[in-house]
Amino acid sequence: MRRQFWFVLVALAVFAAACGDDDDSEGADEGTTSSSEPAPEETTGGTLVAAISSDPGALNPAVTTSGSTHTASELMFNGLVELDASGEPTPELAESWEIEEDGALYRFTLVDGVEWHDGTPFTSADVKFSFEEVLLQFHSRTSASVGNAIESIETPDDLTVEFRFAEPYAPLLQQLNVTEAPIIPKHIYEGSDPQENPANLEPVGTGPFEFVSYTPDSEIRLKKNENYFKDDLPILDEVVLRIIPEDANALAALEDGEVDFIFGAPGPELERLRNSDDLDFLETSVNPGGSNCIMTVSFNLEKAVFGDVRTRRAIGHALDRDQFLERVAFGEGKVAEAPISSNIPFGHADDIDLPDFDVEEAASLLDEAGWVRDGDGVRTAQGVDGVEDGTQLAFDFLSFPRFQSYGELFKAQLAEVGADVTLRPLETPVFVETVFTERDFDTNVISFCNGPDPEIGVKRMYITSNIQPIPFSNSSAYSNEDVDRLFVEALTTVDTDARAEVYRQIQEQLAEDLPYLWLVETQATRVFTAACEGFSESGHFAETASCNR
Amino acid sequence: MIRRYVWRRLFQLVPTCAGILIVGFVLIHLAPGDPVLALAGDSGDAEYYAFMRDKFGLDEPLPVQFVSYAANVVQGDLGVSFVQGRSAAAAIGERLPATLLLTGTALALSTVLGLLVGVVGGARRGKASDVALNGLTLGLYAAPVFWLGQLAILFFALRLGWFPVQGMTTAREQYTGWAAVADVAHHLALPALVLASQQLAAVSRLTRSGVSAELESDHVRTARAKGVGESTVLVRHALRRPLLPVVTVIGGRIGHLVAGTVVIETVFGWPGIGRLLVTSMQARDIPIILGIFLFVSLAVVVANLITDLTYAWLDPRIRFA
Repeated sequence: MRRQFWFVLVALAVFAAACGDDDDSEGADEGTTSSSEPAPEETTGGTLVAAISSDPGALNPAVTTSGSTHTASELMFNGLVELDASGEPTPELAESWEIEEDGALYRFTLVDGVEWHDGTPFTSADVKFSFEEVLLQFHSRTSASVGNAIESIETPDDLTVEFRFAEPYAPLLQQLNVTEAPIIPKHIYEGSDPQENPANLEPVGTGPFEFVSYTPDSEIRLKKNENYFKDDLPILDEVVLRIIPEDANALAALEDGEVDFIFGAPGPELERLRNSDDLDFLETSVNPGGSNCIMTVSFNLEKAVFGDVRTRRAIGHALDRDQFLERVAFGEGKVAEAPISSNIPFGHADDIDLPDFDVEEAASLLDEAGWVRDGDGVRTAQGVDGVEDGTQLAFDFLSFPRFQSYGELFKAQLAEVGADVTLRPLETPVFVETVFTERDFDTNVISFCNGPDPEIGVKRMYITSNIQPIPFSNSSAYSNEDVDRLFVEALTTVDTDARAEVYRQIQEQLAEDLPYLWLVETQATRVFTAACEGFSESGHFAETASCNR
Repeated sequence: MIRRYVWRRLFQLVPTCAGILIVGFVLIHLAPGDPVLALAGDSGDAEYYAFMRDKFGLDEPLPVQFVSYAANVVQGDLGVSFVQGRSAAAAIGERLPATLLLTGTALALSTVLGLLVGVVGGARRGKASDVALNGLTLGLYAAPVFWLGQLAILFFALRLGWFPVQGMTTAREQYTGWAAVADVAHHLALPALVLASQQLAAVSRLTRSGVSAELESDHVRTARAKGVGESTVLVRHALRRPLLPVVTVIGGRIGHLVAGTVVIETVFGWPGIGRLLVTSMQARDIPIILGIFLFVSLAVVVANLITDLTYAWLDPRIRFA
């Protein structure tokens, strides 16, 4: 028996060792497949290790709008244009463009001599293929916007692409960056299902960095594209995107020196981090899920309780948005002053009259709307249209679990004016189904990202045709013919000033109707080791960066 | 005899797997959350979502979906991951070594250390060292794994700097050969210890009580009277009987261990199937979720089979019925 006992122990040890061997060999393989070149003695740019929060699964940014795929893959691809910090288009794969026929024809001249990472020349055929076969089918935003307006894409020669629209189409240039319209190689994707092509795991792009290896749930390794078409870029020799799902761990890894760069730190930690001499910061409105995001409360307008705009306005007056900014967003961002983000300068109207924090005004509007209050209790209905008398002013508030603190403050502030709020945090797929398919909610909060142009991320929230199960669209079920018409007008108005005026009218109407309450324009803070510098806001965040240790 | 028993048990796997498949499939479809809404991008139009639904085959009635899924599984095809656009089996398979390494190490650690701590505690019952070990194992048994993990990171990785914070390899360096083995082992130590902690506590507490009871028994007294050395008494006479329930506990807790990897892999950024399960759940990537269900269930069933066989082998009185 004694021998048997030791045998059990030895067997277990061997089992563990065998498992160990399995993986050790995998580790060794990684070493050999990843990079066979010896590290250069003198590095000019060094290695950047950046933490990303989720495994992308696949690395083709043209077939999805998934934030994790885009964050992990945009460094390997390019758009026809890049958007600068103020949202203005600058040349990328297209070195210049002409807009003709009042905006119904866009002619792009491509940069000569660009090569895919496998050495194949990049041509206008790649652009045409990327749009027609991939982007206009699989990229939800581009298919729903450009896809519904485009008439044809022509390639008169290898370096010219023409986009022809039935009517003038204003937002095109804002929709051609690597996030909205990454260009992928025709010679690799032609004739395949672009969602299942093996190149999605070993991508070939034109971008500043080339694919080296992808270890799922662990890391993506990229190396410098030595033939990059932008002079002297990139500077870094290598970029490692390290997948760290927990924010706290990513932060710990940054402080420990295991990673150099994180896309955002938890709000409460930022103040402490700012005292460190070893770290630098970059504030940006670009989040992995989209840019120019506004935390927005939706009212379900299909519910009688929110049928009266006075009730919605009263709730607006009851909310102290400064507190949302300070206590929930930890000061990262600014109070929203209009329905369109201030980071879209031409679209944002800066003198819109949104309800300010005024509890007395809130109370008197609720009284007027028929929600009466006895003492400090919850208000009850007396003569509210569609609501039985005596019904309490009680409603639910849905959010993703990570936005629950918005709900807590919302609940507390509304309790002051006699409204009883029940919080319902729901994970993303359940939230989307409950709000957009089942319509089983009263109010919710969503981070609506406006993107670089109102056509991409603003219109979807307000147009009548989006009152159907489309995720993150018209959550309130708002319908106003004037607004629908104005959005069509904005789409076909190419002149920026004239277009700005249309958006201003839209925002005035929205401020009057208040189908939503716009709380806070959020921003993220990139935190990185002071040994590195030169980061930018865009998907090509490391294109101009360098690290020197 | 044993061979017949093993075959019968293996044959029982078939209905078990069928049951797992049906329950898993129904559960995942009963759970709220439409995969297309979760997977397809935002801001599309109705046409786009109809196109995606059709592409994933989600517009078929549920029974039709199940029949085609089950038919594929029987042929060894777990389907194509919605998110990754490639075989779910491949996606699960490439994360398996990491999980096996983690759970295997945790199992070995918890068994060896658990028996050791249990024997020491049982032999020194009531003394200071026993009280200390007893308190420690009770604490480990009661503490939630994710909390232990966070504490371990804070103390051993950040404060003392003995271990890396997360991951399976060093991002900055690309080691090969033995250096790569050492690198993985360095990253493995903390998550494996934390994962092992609860099992270690269970094993040691069971061993301790068994050993201390045995030390009071007649055959141990006889052995001591015969002048047998104390360590021989402990291992040969006192540990024999308590080992039986310990083996059962180890086998029975393999399911716990696998469940624990879901938490540990997330906390330590370990690239195994536990993390894949979490991200696939969030994205409603049904082929992968069902594939992992199936794999984990099979692992638990097989572990139980091995436990039963070991049990019978350790105790000749137990015969296969």
